[in-house]
Amino acid sequence: MVTEFGLRLAISLTQIGAVMCIVVITVLILTLAERKVLGWMQDRMGPMEVGPYGILQPFADAIKLFFKEDIVPAGANKFIFTMAPILCLIPTFIGFAVIPWGPNWTFEINGISVKPFVISDINIGILYILAFASLAAYGIILGGWASNSKYSLLGGLRSAAQVISYELNVGLAIVGVLILAGSLSLVKITDAQAGWFWNWYIFALPAPQIFAFVVYVISVVAETNRVPFDLPEAESELVAGFFTEYSGLRFAFFFLAEYANMVLVSCVASALFLGGWHGPYPGTLMELVGLSSWSWIESTMWFAVKTYSLLFLFFWLRATLPRLRYDQLMRFGWKVMLPIALANIVVTAIAVYIYQQIN
Amino acid sequence: MRSSPAAKRLSLSQWFKTITFYEILVGMKATLSHLLNYRPVTLQYPHEKRTLPDNYRGMLALLRYDDGTEKCVGCDLCEAACPSRVIRVVSAEVPGEPTKRYSKEYYMDMTRCLFCGMCVDACPVDALGMTREFEWAVYDKRQLHLNKQQLLAIGDRSYPVREKRLELQHPNVAFFNVAFNHVPPKPN
Repeated sequence: MVTEFGLRLAISLTQIGAVMCIVVITVLILTLAERKVLGWMQDRMGPMEVGPYGILQPFADAIKLFFKEDIVPAGANKFIFTMAPILCLIPTFIGFAVIPWGPNWTFEINGISVKPFVISDINIGILYILAFASLAAYGIILGGWASNSKYSLLGGLRSAAQVISYELNVGLAIVGVLILAGSLSLVKITDAQAGWFWNWYIFALPAPQIFAFVVYVISVVAETNRVPFDLPEAESELVAGFFTEYSGLRFAFFFLAEYANMVLVSCVASALFLGGWHGPYPGTLMELVGLSSWSWIESTMWFAVKTYSLLFLFFWLRATLPRLRYDQLMRFGWKVMLPIALANIVVTAIAVYIYQQIN
Repeated sequence: MRSSPAAKRLSLSQWFKTITFYEILVGMKATLSHLLNYRPVTLQYPHEKRTLPDNYRGMLALLRYDDGTEKCVGCDLCEAACPSRVIRVVSAEVPGEPTKRYSKEYYMDMTRCLFCGMCVDACPVDALGMTREFEWAVYDKRQLHLNKQQLLAIGDRSYPVREKRLELQHPNVAFFNVAFNHVPPKPN
């Protein structure tokens, strides 16, 4: 009994550790990749000094942030000021628990069934991610409020309004996929998209979710406070928005949370709309050459390719677009994105109903 | 177009461009083309330096004649010409030669210098020169308050070829060691 519990705990902790490592490494890569890609798109070189072609820049940044002085501004609410970065970071990392990284395999170890590529396959995975993504907004608002600075407060307020408006669209954009899949579990949704690439929900009959995908991508760009929707941290207007007063390790936490959030929404998008770990062809090439026990490498690579393509889209948009005005942001969210998402739900529901009646 | 009621109806192509984010796609194509045709304009400065133009106005220096004597005659014209009051000259008689003067002390406060070159233009004996040095960042501003020895040292390392000293007039009447064109050459 005790050993079973211990084994279960050990397996879960191993999985959590592995996922955390992968996410943190991805964030490290992202900080460098963003600066490099932005530089290349703007005819610059990006960081070039630390290591060959600047590839050790993330480590230099990490060391610098780690050794910076930790400043708490006068008049700040110390408890909330300290809690805010953690409140921002933890919900983001928790979300990775339900992301399926690879094939839906099950192992038996001493009578315990283990799914190696998903930490916990809970049947309300999407709801869980949405709930925790909303909690992260508290970190931003409280951080802005507790800093006792007008720039932070303005950034936090903008962020509150923006995250609430656009999370609605994220949720509504996902509903179409949920109607098609008939499940809230990310593992089941991904499994339902097996086969050729036209089975992915972005293309799948009877109701291709292409509009929902566009709405989802635009809304998550707004939700993660990225350009062109980076009003909460508009550096030319608000210094740095809600983390103006943060320095050192606490700033690093906010930074980590923002990038981890980008990774999370990209993972969710590739799992929901782009077939997750399925390649664009049925089965895997590894199975064809008889290495079916190694086919998970190919599957995880497909998942990584899709996720990184979406992350590249984030950088690409940042290099291309200027920041929106605040009223434009709100009008776009409520008057354009929301009706499209709602219409998508109606059309998908009707199409699925007719499809089921015909079959 | 969205707000005014009198706005014309969108044509089909305009409507299509709006719903497909056509303008944004054009912009994204531009950035992607820069990414694919990667030609950075960056110069990796401390590792590679651009060639300076011939008339580059860099650090100021005091010069010497080929026999090692200072050119400066302590006339204070550079001090008068300087718009930023960089230069301070303390002029004095050359001992034993009552008509000849030299700069006993010569200071330049390079924190104020704007490298206009007017002191160089004003100098009647070409005792000042502008070098091609520009990397003069220091940790202490006082290190930029240069004295005569430092300025001569800059001149020595930047101008290895020195002007030949001409003794055209009798030493007792030579106010400036200048080769005046209207003065007949010295008979030997």
